[in-house]
Order: sequence, then C-alpha cells, then structure tokens
Amino acid sequence: MYRRWLWPSFAFPGILWLIVLFVVPFYAVLAVALGSVDPVTLLKPVPAWNPIDWNVGWIVEVLHRLAPGGSFYGVAIRTLEYVAASLALSLLIGYPVAYYVARHAGRWKGILLVLIVLPLWISYMMRMLAWVNLLQPEGYVNRFLTFTHVLSRPHDWLGGHSSTVVFALVYGYIPYFILPLFASLDRIDRSHLEAARDLGASPWSAFRHVTLPLSKTGILGGSVLITLPMFGDYYTPNIVSPTPTTSMIGNQIDLYFHGGPQPTIGAAITILLAVFLTGLMAYYMWTIHRAQRAVGAVGAV
Amino acid sequence: MTMHPKERPDDLSRREFLLRAAGAATVMSGAGGLLAACSSSTTVAAPTSTTGEPLGPGGLPLARPDKRVTLPRWEDPIASGLEPETGGTFTIFNYPDYFYKKLLKDFGKKYKVDVQYTAFDNISSGIRRLASGAVQPDVMEMTPDNLDLAVASKLIKPLNLDYIPNLQANVWPELVSPFYDGESRYTVPYTTYATGIAWRNDKVSEDIASMPQPWDIFWESQAYKGKVALLSEPRETIAMALLRKGITDINTEDPKLIDQAIADLKELYGVCNIKVGDVQYQAVPEGTSWLNQAWTGDMIAGYIYYLPKGTPGSVLSYWKAEKGKVPIQNDCFSICTTTKKPVLAHLFLNYLLDNGVAYTNFVDFNGYQPPLNEIDPAALVKDGVVPENLANSVLTNDDFGPDSLQEMTLTARGQQLWEDGYSDFLAGGS
Repeated sequence: MYRRWLWPSFAFPGILWLIVLFVVPFYAVLAVALGSVDPVTLLKPVPAWNPIDWNVGWIVEVLHRLAPGGSFYGVAIRTLEYVAASLALSLLIGYPVAYYVARHAGRWKGILLVLIVLPLWISYMMRMLAWVNLLQPEGYVNRFLTFTHVLSRPHDWLGGHSSTVVFALVYGYIPYFILPLFASLDRIDRSHLEAARDLGASPWSAFRHVTLPLSKTGILGGSVLITLPMFGDYYTPNIVSPTPTTSMIGNQIDLYFHGGPQPTIGAAITILLAVFLTGLMAYYMWTIHRAQRAVGAVGAV
Repeated sequence: MTMHPKERPDDLSRREFLLRAAGAATVMSGAGGLLAACSSSTTVAAPTSTTGEPLGPGGLPLARPDKRVTLPRWEDPIASGLEPETGGTFTIFNYPDYFYKKLLKDFGKKYKVDVQYTAFDNISSGIRRLASGAVQPDVMEMTPDNLDLAVASKLIKPLNLDYIPNLQANVWPELVSPFYDGESRYTVPYTTYATGIAWRNDKVSEDIASMPQPWDIFWESQAYKGKVALLSEPRETIAMALLRKGITDINTEDPKLIDQAIADLKELYGVCNIKVGDVQYQAVPEGTSWLNQAWTGDMIAGYIYYLPKGTPGSVLSYWKAEKGKVPIQNDCFSICTTTKKPVLAHLFLNYLLDNGVAYTNFVDFNGYQPPLNEIDPAALVKDGVVPENLANSVLTNDDFGPDSLQEMTLTARGQQLWEDGYSDFLAGGS
C-alpha cells in the first residue's frame, strides 16, 4: 500500500498547483464568459458556475465580431501576423545563437548562457520603457544609425509602426525561445553527426538531415513558449506603438476588462483565444509524442 | 519487448481508437445539446422609471447639468462630534501622482496615522477593484459619472458635512451642492478641468484657436503624422468627435450618432496614424507629441514639471471651446465603505478643501485646479503660476452651471454602446 502511493504522491504538489492556479482561474474566466453582468450596478460580472446556467450569447457575439467584416477581424488577423513575424524572426536570430552556444562555445558556454538570460533579470516593462528612450528621434538608436550612415536622417520608430511592435516582441521574448532550443541542441548525441559525416554527408546535409530534425522539439518548445504570451500581449504595443492601427487582440481584452459594463466580452475573447492556443498546443504535444516514438524506435533497433 | 504493468501502451489499437472516437463523439454531441440548451443573451437590462425615463445603475436617476439629482442615503452618516481615530494606516485610493505626498505626510503627522497611497489605472478599474474587495481604502477619488455606480453598489458612505466646514466656506457655490450630488451627500469636489487641444506651437504651424472648428485640426494633421494623439478615454474621445460635428449632447445614446462619431475617428488612422494615451502632460512639453487632446490641468502640470531644460514655456499652446461647447468635469473625493476610520476620513475631505492645502497641491504638484473661491484666475497668470499663453487653461465657477457640458452617467445600454464603439475604434480597422 505504502509503495503503491509513494511515487504517485510526488505529483500531488504539482497537481494541487495546477488546480489552484490554473483550473480554478480558468473555470472562473469561463464562468464569466458564459455568465452575465449584475443588472443593478453593471459593475460586477455574475459568473455562471453551473453549466445549466451558461449563456453562450457573449461567445457567439465575439465569434461574430471575429468573422470577416466583424469589428475584431482586423485586429485578430494583425495579431496573427505580428506573432508569425516575431516567431520567424526569433527563429532566424535564435537558432544560430542557440546552435553556436550548444556546439561551438566551448568553455564560454556558461557565460554566454548567462548573457542570454541576463535581460530577464530586469522586468519586461522596464526593458520596454528603456527601448522607448532608445528609439526616440534623438535617441541612441537613431544617433548610431545616422552616425554610421545607415540612415540619412532619424527615423520615427515610435510613430506607430508594425515593425517596431514586432521588433519589441522579438526582443522581449527571444530568450525564452533560445533556452529550450539550446537544451535540445545540446542533447544531440555527437555520434549521430559523426555517423552522418562518415557516411559521406556534407556539413550542410548532416545539419539538414540530423541536427535540424533532432532539434525540432526544441524549436517547437521555444515556439510554444513565446507564442502563447505573445497572443495575449497588450502592453508591448501600448508602450512602443500606442496607435489603434498596431493594436493586438490583447488590447481588446484589456479594454473590456478595464471597467465598463461588459467584462463578459473580455472573458469570451480570452476563452476563444485559449481554445485557439489549445489547438497549437495539441499540435506541439502530438509532435513531441511522435518524436519520442521515433527515438524509441531507434533505441529498439 | 515486455512492459511493466504500470506502463500504458502508447499506441492505440484500431479497436480502441474506434471505441474512444465513439465515446468522444457521444460527449461532443452531448456538449452540443448542452450548449443548445444554454441561453443566448448579450444585452444588459436598462431599468426605466415609472414615467419611462431611462435610469442609471441601481435604478438611480441620471443627473445632467440641467437636471439636479439628490441621491438617496443608503445608510445614516456618522454622528457629529466624534473624535478622530488615530494610529494604524489611512489609505487613499487615487490616480497615480494625483495628490502631493508631502501634504499627505503632514496630514498623517497631524492625526498620528501612517498615510498610504494606493493607485489605480483609471476610475472604472479602481471601482471594480474596490467592489471586488481587492483594496480596502478609507477615501477615494470619485468622478460624477461614476457616482451612481458607487452609490448603487454601496461602495461609498454618506457624508456628515458637520465635519467638512471647508466645503461651504471655500468651494465655488456651483459645486457645494452640485447637480450630480444634491446636498453633497456623498462627495466633495477635488479638482476641475476642461477638455481641449494642447499643441507645440513651434512644431504645429496652424493657428488652431482661430480655426472655425478647432477640433478639425486632428483631421487635417497629415503633416504631423506619428505626433498626434487623443486621450485614452472612451467618453472623451467619442465626445470630441460628436462636438466636432456640432452635437453637444455628449451623453447621447443614439446609435446613429455614435456610429458616425466612430466612423469619423477611424478616418484618423489614415490622416495621422492617430495615437491614444494619457501621457499628454509629459509628451507635449517634451515634444514627443505635437498635437494632443488634453485636459486643462495637463498643460499646467506639464509647464511646471516636464518642459525640458532650455525649452521656454511659450512653446505650449492650449485651446478649449467656450462654455456650452466644451466638456468640463470635476473630480471628487468620497469616503469608502471599507473605512475603519470614518471620522478621520471626513477630516481628510475637509483637509483637502483647506485653502492652503488645495493651493499647494495645485501649484506645487498636480496642476489641476481646485474649485476654491480664494483662487483668483487673474492672479494665477499675474503671479506666473500659469504662463500667459496657457491662461485659458484656468477655469472659473462660471464655467459650471446648467448650460455646461459634462460627461455623465449613461444607462446600461448607453454604456454598452459607447464601449463597443470605442472598441471598434481601438481595433484599428482591417
């Protein structure tokens, strides 16, 4: 009996943590999205805790607004574009960095990892605010770019540009992309690469057929880690580009939760966003599962 | 390969797959039935009076500058003649940096309490936090358009004016028993302001004040793209678009008018890639914004605090429309139901209306003008507190009255309409 429960009991703190800090809050948001608003004061949402009382009107309303021609359609597509662009840039920048640190940094590996993590010691908000100063017309970025003749005159980075938002998202989240990717690359058994080379593969071919497939779980892990918060981000565009034309879906959630009589709409957007992200997560889990099976098959051979 | 009994096979057999799929389909179809059984409503009931007149939160009547409302007291005020509580903390719930900390320290010293300042982002979120019990302040900033909500939710306490003699003695008569709170049952006024346009006259060449419709400048600001901003306040933003079209009912609940206002605001994407935010008090003086919808107090505060070294105050300009066309507002203070020090809370309200305290708070800190008889608008300019080019940022008691414009409480349907309209504008188009 004792042995039967000993090892499963190790999972108890984690399960409790998940229930208290994820399942319950998530159900609370769901209950708000499927509930109503106190008709007397218009102040408090009235969550529908019992599924029998669920009111799907707010979800349907948000779905209508998300459809082409709806008021949320443009901002939802823009959010997708920003996240996709940020992810692509993170991959483009992060992969070589992670690859170098994992494979070629040698004794500098520890220091380089610390340097990658270093920005995370400062709060996200502070780092973004610092960029606001750096990107001012007379800021250091423009000074450097005009001094080096990359630009003939200062660029108005903070004038409300999509590129600034994407840049800020990449800057803010890229360490979270690099770290799992580094772990994945670092774990690759060098003998696999040596075998590929021994069998006549060129360095590029060995990378393409061995390193890249084996680091796929790292890429996906990093992608999941950064895209999930990016989809809900609202403070990055607020800080570096406070124009409606560069706002993201998170700004709508913020608006509806920040007072006003329809927190239910904010909750409904949150739920629908969560459903969408669950799809992405499912793909990630499926890929991991497949990769594990493939590794298992290789082991069995 | 053998497996330990505790290990589960990862692969599903075809039979298991079919069984599980059938189970999932059953659950899904059940969920469909469950969802179909759910109600589907997105409207919030808007109560009306017996005469069919629309009502606000809690069924309270909607106050307007030309329609005085005296709110019912939901409990008796505290008795007169009680001694103030001492010791412990006394919490003020307010916008960030909207009360001079030194004055709060002085108050704490006088009554032997530790004064804490808790900030909220905006009044709506502040009221929501208060209602949720996340904060337990003693006193809080209040706005007239949120008063019905706070009273209906019993978040603020009725006042005993015996403890607040400064209200009668020092405050403009128009705000001693204001139209939104007859007999000052729940609030005392704190600051006053109007909404207009602030600009850097060294960057913007137009003489905005001389334009037939100065609000048009936002729609003619192509040359200042990226340097033009509106307040991040749904009511102010939409009201501005209404006023530009000559509609002075800034509490309208006519969907056609709101839709037109939103359509007009959306034109600003293409004109100047309009920004939204509430940092105009800093952005205009520092030159990161050249043309900005702004409150009167912003420019006075900006002049006092945010002008960069070497930039003269004369580069700042401000315009506001004449009475009857300009949105004016006054902030208030109320005592929260959560207070453990109700007598001291009353004394704090009296303290903030003290001539010396209110003046110091105004000129040495926040730039927002208190509605005090003793403050002479002409003297503010003459003494250099307010530069001559910002003289029209100063308000007088004549700006208030039945023919003034003030954003006030809307019905439930109206609130939805304005919020959805602003959301549409904030979404940034396709």
